[in-house]
Amino acid sequence: MATIAALKHPRMVSALEGYDPGDSYCELLGADKQPSRQVAALWHCLETSDLGSLRQRAADAERELFKLGITFTVYTEKDAIDRILPFDVIPRVLSAQAWARIEAGVKQRVQALNLFLHDVYHERKILADGVVPTELVLTNACYRPEMVGLDLPCGTYIHINGTDIVRDRAGEFLVLEDNGRSPSGVSYVVENRHLMQRAFPDLMAGLNVRPVSDYGKRLLGKLREVAPAGIDNPCVVLLSPGIYNSAYFEHVFLAREMGVPLVEGRDLVVEDDRVWAYTIGGRAPVHVIYRRVNDDFLDPEAFNPASMLGVRGLLRAVKRGTVTLANAIGTGVADDKAVYAYVPRIIRYYLDEEPILANVETHICGEPQGLAHTLANLERLVLKPVGESGGYGIVVGPKSSKAEIEAATAKLKADPGNFISQPMIDLSVSPTLGENGARPRHVDLRPYAITGRDTWVLPGGLTRVALKEGSIIVNSSQGGGTKDTWVLADEP
Amino acid sequence: MRLLSRNAESLFWLARYLERGASLARVIEMQSSFGGHDKDGGWNWLLTLHTDEPALRERFEPSAETIIAFYLTDSANAGSIRSSIHWARENARALRPFIPLDMWAQLNMFHGVIEEIGADDIQRSQLPRTCSQIRAGCLAQIGVAEGLLYRDEGYQFFKLGLMIERADQTSRLLDVKFAQGPGGSASAARAADPADDFVFWSTILRTVGAYQVFHRLETGSADPERVARFLALNPGHPRSIGFCAREIGDALQMLRGGFQLMRANACLEACEILMEGLQAAGRDTQLLGRLHEFNDWVQRTLIQLANEIAVAFFRAEPLERPAAEPPRPKKKGKRQSQTQSQGEGQKQS
Repeated sequence: MATIAALKHPRMVSALEGYDPGDSYCELLGADKQPSRQVAALWHCLETSDLGSLRQRAADAERELFKLGITFTVYTEKDAIDRILPFDVIPRVLSAQAWARIEAGVKQRVQALNLFLHDVYHERKILADGVVPTELVLTNACYRPEMVGLDLPCGTYIHINGTDIVRDRAGEFLVLEDNGRSPSGVSYVVENRHLMQRAFPDLMAGLNVRPVSDYGKRLLGKLREVAPAGIDNPCVVLLSPGIYNSAYFEHVFLAREMGVPLVEGRDLVVEDDRVWAYTIGGRAPVHVIYRRVNDDFLDPEAFNPASMLGVRGLLRAVKRGTVTLANAIGTGVADDKAVYAYVPRIIRYYLDEEPILANVETHICGEPQGLAHTLANLERLVLKPVGESGGYGIVVGPKSSKAEIEAATAKLKADPGNFISQPMIDLSVSPTLGENGARPRHVDLRPYAITGRDTWVLPGGLTRVALKEGSIIVNSSQGGGTKDTWVLADEP
Repeated sequence: MRLLSRNAESLFWLARYLERGASLARVIEMQSSFGGHDKDGGWNWLLTLHTDEPALRERFEPSAETIIAFYLTDSANAGSIRSSIHWARENARALRPFIPLDMWAQLNMFHGVIEEIGADDIQRSQLPRTCSQIRAGCLAQIGVAEGLLYRDEGYQFFKLGLMIERADQTSRLLDVKFAQGPGGSASAARAADPADDFVFWSTILRTVGAYQVFHRLETGSADPERVARFLALNPGHPRSIGFCAREIGDALQMLRGGFQLMRANACLEACEILMEGLQAAGRDTQLLGRLHEFNDWVQRTLIQLANEIAVAFFRAEPLERPAAEPPRPKKKGKRQSQTQSQGEGQKQS
């Protein structure tokens, strides 16, 4: 039991006491396992911070997130439960050089994917040249024949893109996944920063961190660039499925930051192949829609007829070129798991450049070499079915029994084209505040790229952290949290 | 782009639900504090006032406890305080890109407080405390709106909702004596014993926070006729029906003149009817005797006005249309209820 003396003079416990990243690459210490000159101030601040008071401030900060409604909503039969995304106060820091590489790599990737989509919905040269298997694209569930032959403003299909990036034991950045449909999470990037500025100004002192708060302004600029031809002052709106969507806060955030109306399908109507919004003064024309509604639900006339979220006739307006959707319909064919394996080849094909950011080494089992390698090394690889999402059907070799490996082998042999395999990656770690101080926890990174005539990448992005020890699952549904991501400016 | 119809509707109903929650809290607070003077009926008159007796009897035996729970914490009762604040918050949620962050943050936290109210908090001993907490929360929200909401078209819809609901609630309060009377007779407005009258009408004045100002103006009397006229017609008290009517008129004028919305014309006509009726009531020397009739008329006129606003601005269909569609069957137990709620007569698209 604590004595009164101990309560009066508690021993200060440093927030960093006992921190040891082990063999993993540490985002704060880097390859040298020593704080660099740039992060020395932050390291010192953490080292001299009392664990108890830092945790107290962190708890206050999380309460503030709840109060401000920076939440995602889980709806049960009876209640609407607002939850915050757990937030860790120790930022993830990226040097100017590391960021320059990510930024260039993301731009390159988005440019190649947009060229790929234009080609797929027009001449299909890449298929004719045998670089990407034709059936992989044309029989893909996300392929939309309705888009064939349609010319989009600036040739842009993926206006908003999120690239999931991990870092391996050597500190090398690797792309894990492209998100070219409706990537979410950018609101947390900006709100996390605002929270850090309000609640932890001491941690930021002495560091030149690149700002993120102009995302909304930049996004609006890009969306205006892709307005239909001949519209001088386009009306941009954000289309949300509504307050019952779990990401509704993000839709609110984006509409607010851009200063545009947040609409639902029922606010819009298509007449004469033009989109109109119902206002108190009558109908008003709409020219650009940043939609956070999936392809399937966009237009009950063209896609899922049961959809209550979309706008009847929207596809007609898109085809007439009177409205621009961001992202375009049918981008899912570019961020598919199966197509992912071909992205390095897609980059070389269209840009005649080597990929700046590598994929995680991927063996395409539909090709003889990839199949042979996978069969020979299955117990050391991660086997992923390409048609599934959400982690279903994944076999993690090192964590599987002999019987499980045998069953996976049988499935793989029966339908090799349905599988890819990848090595296990030892994800980098970042010191993360826990009960007993900062501990290494695995992180990933999702930078956001927005594209109109050209591409702009938000400095940093969403750092997700697996809060459980040893876990590599960063998803919020499975105990993941977020961190503020600091990109340091170039030194003068 | 002008304000979305859906946002205008949400602003209107956000205000209505807040005002409704606050008013109900006032009435319950009054009854729990001064109800001892109530000889017959106890809490039953609350049911009469809102024509809720059948709805309550479907699930409970009427008693002080069940009636209090029904109006405070019962989420199955669409007219309860818990439901009102729930729907206020859902409307605010839809308005989040539109309203100041402080409005959402305050309502979000207040909603949390309302959700926490349990059986212990509505026991007789705790009830006044709980009610005043609710009242303060609603007032704070309305205050944040007054202090921060940008004065564009949207604000006018917030004000319209606030004033229509407030006028409606004041008119209901003026009807309490009628509801309390045996079988609700018009003569019940004046009690046999003048002392009873004084206590009763003083309580009514306290409920709307007008006790002090009334006595300052009328030097100590609580003559039923004068109290009724004060709450129906006084141009200076923010909870009198006359005051609310003028504010409604101002908001509609602003929409038509300031914001060039000609659609406000039909609403202004409906508002004109309300104004004329109030003027007629002012000339009526026997208003107290006809108070129930007057209240009934006020409430019906307000419904008509709210419908005109919905048709003009919220894309609602007029309620009285040629028989293209059969009228919707009335919900069981909702006989003649004059309480409007969101979505009635609304076109589903």
